[in-house]
Amino acid sequence: MRSRVVSIVLPVCGALLVVGLWAAVSTQVHDLPSPLRTWTESKVYILQPLEKRGEMDQGILLLAYYSLWRVAKGFLLGILIGTPLGFMLGLSRTFHRMFDPIVQVLRPISPLAWLPLGLIVFQKSEPAALFTIALCSMWPTVINTMSGVRSIPQEYRNVARVLRLSRFQTFSKVLVPATLPYMFTGYRLSLGIAWLVIVASEMLTGTPGIGGFLWQEYNSLIYAHIVLCILTIGIVGFLLDRMMGFVELKLQRSN
Amino acid sequence: MAYLEVRDVSKNFSSGRTNREVLKSVNLSVEEGQFVSIVGFTGSGKTTLINILAGLHTPDSGTVEIGGQQVRGIPAQAAVVFQNYSLLPWFSALENVRLAVEAAFPSWNREKQLSQAKRYLETVGLGSAANRRPSQLSGGMRQRVAIARAFASEPALLFLDEPFSALDALTRANLQQELARLCSEVERPVTTVMITNNLDEALLLSDQIIPMTRGPRATLSTPINVSIPRPRTESQLLHDDNAAHIRSTVVEFLADFVHTTPLKPAPLVKGAHLSRTALTDKTILEEQA
Repeated sequence: MRSRVVSIVLPVCGALLVVGLWAAVSTQVHDLPSPLRTWTESKVYILQPLEKRGEMDQGILLLAYYSLWRVAKGFLLGILIGTPLGFMLGLSRTFHRMFDPIVQVLRPISPLAWLPLGLIVFQKSEPAALFTIALCSMWPTVINTMSGVRSIPQEYRNVARVLRLSRFQTFSKVLVPATLPYMFTGYRLSLGIAWLVIVASEMLTGTPGIGGFLWQEYNSLIYAHIVLCILTIGIVGFLLDRMMGFVELKLQRSN
Repeated sequence: MAYLEVRDVSKNFSSGRTNREVLKSVNLSVEEGQFVSIVGFTGSGKTTLINILAGLHTPDSGTVEIGGQQVRGIPAQAAVVFQNYSLLPWFSALENVRLAVEAAFPSWNREKQLSQAKRYLETVGLGSAANRRPSQLSGGMRQRVAIARAFASEPALLFLDEPFSALDALTRANLQQELARLCSEVERPVTTVMITNNLDEALLLSDQIIPMTRGPRATLSTPINVSIPRPRTESQLLHDDNAAHIRSTVVEFLADFVHTTPLKPAPLVKGAHLSRTALTDKTILEEQA
């Protein structure tokens, strides 16, 4: 019981302290909206979260939904490319020697660098955003899948060999299940990155969504809404991570 | 010609500049339906030998023939029971066994594969635990699943790599008896090669015991026939003259290969005090002391 209380009270205290700090700083910095002003100026977005008043002027859940949908598509594309790539890197020495250096070079490139290239190639903002999300978010999936495949215990490989499993059986009954926990760790990290990238890509392309809204409100000098967006991005990202963490835990239990 | 014929097999492992000669001209012939135990010290290269027989390693020189055919890769007729069970943890006991059935009889439909898997799980007394994952089973139960998996593919050849060494003494004794029963019950005789460091286990199960010299450059010595009628029991073996004779022959032979000591082993009194002869350096040295 006591630990229950502590586990609720302490985080609330921490949050209040941060809000207090924010309030204190906002009295000194002229343009930084105070917590109270943020609330009064944003409450229409929060209290009517599904209201659509215009292209950018929409309830916060609706905006988050646009961004999440875009992230889902980009992330899916990323893991669809990343998972097989990781498997090939893990399974074939030759493939690894050939492509690992390229992977290591492409990995640290920022979404801000990829997006213009995407715009040039695809001419439209939507596919360019998906391209950027996929390209930036797939690396943790690639790396984790690769190391998962490489760390499959020899005894499982031996079982597959002495049972004379076919290539397909070996892949589906041994390699994939043995790699699954690693793959999901990769997916979780990838989803986190995809969510980071969405804001940047929406800002640059000006498409409706959390990031697009944030940038528009900055240009319209409504700074309270910037804080609203930042908080929403944080909360959604936290929930996404928790969700993937839950799936990951389930998988590890079942193994 | 014997069913399993190993001719002049040698195997080296090299890493960097060091080269270890593990096996040196190993010869072995096992008649169809025979149970042969290879007894030797831990770390003498027994597992390397069984891995070569099972096709997991290729020998540097020499050949392995099964039924007159030289083996390349994994032999189709063989099943292997590993020391560490090697069950796939993401499958239930039943699915683990069924996978082996599926691989051995791909033309069977799913129902037939499942019923075959179930039948063999029941034979090892695990019918009620069929849906449990390996992590929910004890060590003894896991090895039962592994044995069921091996028999379910109806192999002509069975390779056992220290199958009971990770188990406690009681479980081990039970499983040894069950293995003996399984071997005698299957419709067509299984030719079996078992690797062990436990001489009593070998006496209980085998038609022939072959001591293996200590590595490096390990090789097999002359086979000793075990002509004790079946079914055999542990207690019967303790008082059996024949068993005592074999025991002392093997122990004396192996003791000669202890490099660490120049001492000759003391002559062994008939069996009794050596009832659990795990062939490690330590036991041998203790017996000499």
